[in-house]
Amino acid sequence: MQRSPLANALLWFVLIIGTAAFVFPLWWMAVVSLETPERAEAAITGSGGIALFAPHPQFANYANAVRETGSRPWMGFVDALSNSIVVTVLVVLGTVLSSSAVGYAFARLRFRGRNPLFLLMLATMMLPGQVTMIPLFLLFRQFGWIDTIMPLVVPAFFGNAFFIFMYRQFIAQIPESLVEAARIDGLGHIAIWWRIILPLCRPVTAICAVFTFIGTWNDFLGPLIYLHSDESATLAVALNGFKNQYGGLEDVHLLMALSVLTMIPCIVLFIAAQKTFVEGLARGAVKG
Amino acid sequence: MANVKLTKVGKVYADSAQGSVRAVEAVDLLIADGEFCVLVGPSGCGKSTTLRMIAGLEEISEGVLEIDGKRVNELPAKDRDIAFVFQNYALYPHLTVAQNVGFGLETRRTHRSAFVAAISGGGAARAAESARIDARVAEVSRTLGLDPLLARYPRELSGGQRQRVAVGRAIARDPKVFLFDEPLSNLDARLRIETRSELRTLHRKLRATIVYVTHDQEEAMTLADRLVVMHAGKVMQNASAQECYERPANRFVAGFIGTPSMNLVDGRLENGVFSARGVHAPIPSTIAARSCALGVRPDRVRIVGRNAAASIAATIAAVELLGDRTDLTLDCAWGRMVARIDADLAAGMREGDAVGFTFDAAHAHLFELGECGARIVI
Repeated sequence: MQRSPLANALLWFVLIIGTAAFVFPLWWMAVVSLETPERAEAAITGSGGIALFAPHPQFANYANAVRETGSRPWMGFVDALSNSIVVTVLVVLGTVLSSSAVGYAFARLRFRGRNPLFLLMLATMMLPGQVTMIPLFLLFRQFGWIDTIMPLVVPAFFGNAFFIFMYRQFIAQIPESLVEAARIDGLGHIAIWWRIILPLCRPVTAICAVFTFIGTWNDFLGPLIYLHSDESATLAVALNGFKNQYGGLEDVHLLMALSVLTMIPCIVLFIAAQKTFVEGLARGAVKG
Repeated sequence: MANVKLTKVGKVYADSAQGSVRAVEAVDLLIADGEFCVLVGPSGCGKSTTLRMIAGLEEISEGVLEIDGKRVNELPAKDRDIAFVFQNYALYPHLTVAQNVGFGLETRRTHRSAFVAAISGGGAARAAESARIDARVAEVSRTLGLDPLLARYPRELSGGQRQRVAVGRAIARDPKVFLFDEPLSNLDARLRIETRSELRTLHRKLRATIVYVTHDQEEAMTLADRLVVMHAGKVMQNASAQECYERPANRFVAGFIGTPSMNLVDGRLENGVFSARGVHAPIPSTIAARSCALGVRPDRVRIVGRNAAASIAATIAAVELLGDRTDLTLDCAWGRMVARIDADLAAGMREGDAVGFTFDAAHAHLFELGECGARIVI
């Protein structure tokens, strides 16, 4: 359908305003990360007005930020980065594997109490994280897991209610006969899950993996609670340590520089996975 | 290859709302080695459930199932050495045609993991196994004309091609028994007839034991060595297609087998004359007077002049041209009757014309009253 020029102009206007509103904070973060310390501080306190460009970009800010992360020059950043990578990879792996397996069970296995259990699992989504925070902390301390990555990683291997729900819905619309064909072809349930169900769940897996990645990579509270020593901190916590160490807002340009660096993997991953997202949406619409 | 024997096999579904539902009841069936057995019946008659019990996809509630003389009730589907072709083909969408065809072989290989084989010194044995699988896949795809499609994915195939891949996947493993669950019902009419004769040829070539489920009685008749007509969970007749057509065991089979359906009229037979609603017709029979239903196939009905001797008066309600034959729907004292006659004889007949008809009494059937009334030997 052909839109009238006026409608077109209006559409563009709304889209541009919306895009600007979303992009501006990121842009501003990048701008401040390139400012001199004085101008950055002024920008934060609001006394300097809002600059859309850094007049004298200080690319050295990035090197300084990396060097001054944590307590050991350079190595502090490497520690935090590797901690983040290990935790995030394990959590993504655990969430995808456990959520899809449980989703398969809820969708395809007939067992006593399946529906009540499913409801109970959904109900856990209503429970705010703050409620379970202290009991969980006490439990993990009992296990001797404080200042290890265990409290961050192990729960991921027990599934995530929301992703279990997503997997279950997706798997429920895979024809039952595929599972039956696989049974006749000699596969057990675990093999069916691994060789038939998981490959077909790619769109859900992409969503689950990307969201879990972003959530874990940016998670601040979890690592802050469970990881006490400097060497075990993740990037998100290291960013915070940055601020505490120097106090005030003197190093806000370095904070912003490190924030930009921290964001990069999320953006790259999102762009890379975009095609699979769209594929998933399209498949749902057309039904092959 | 092997025979399949069902002894008093039944399926009961526990249903909390209505107690329990009996989907299949005391089915006795012996399918010989190499036989093409077709289970046919209207939807909900229990034919698919029976097939799925043979496959091991449904538990058997009662009775004994034997394959090759061995009880297999408790054996899981994968150990029964059967292959199943599904109505929707159930091809694995993420695998190519070649991988689909070879999947059953792949899952049964003795050297599963390339890595384990390599470190345990089984590399050569595994390579030989892979070569065997590849050769088998190539052989099967040659038989079915799938060679040009091997690298494609199921979504890139037409309905007919998918159907052939599904058959290929079944053949590849060389199972004892093939089970087909309405495999042609997703194809268009022309392709269905083509594929039907291909299946027939394939059966002759493989000499395989086949159990085939369909609701299409024409498909059933053309394919079957043995036809098993089912209704409401029970076997109505178990015989050759010819036998089922010529000597239906009961009124249900009479009405179900053959197109158009047999004309059936409830009435009374007395002294060699069948009477219903004041209209009489001679039946050469010596059996004692009794109530019964008369059955006449449409192609045994003859149109005669309105006033011809012993004719039954009727009005033509509909004329359907089929090419060489014509189906006439007649309104008469007995209700609606269908006659199938030569197109030449039907030339000039119009809806609303008054005619008379007789029927070939030597080929008439008699049944006891009721939906499944048994055949009465004339």
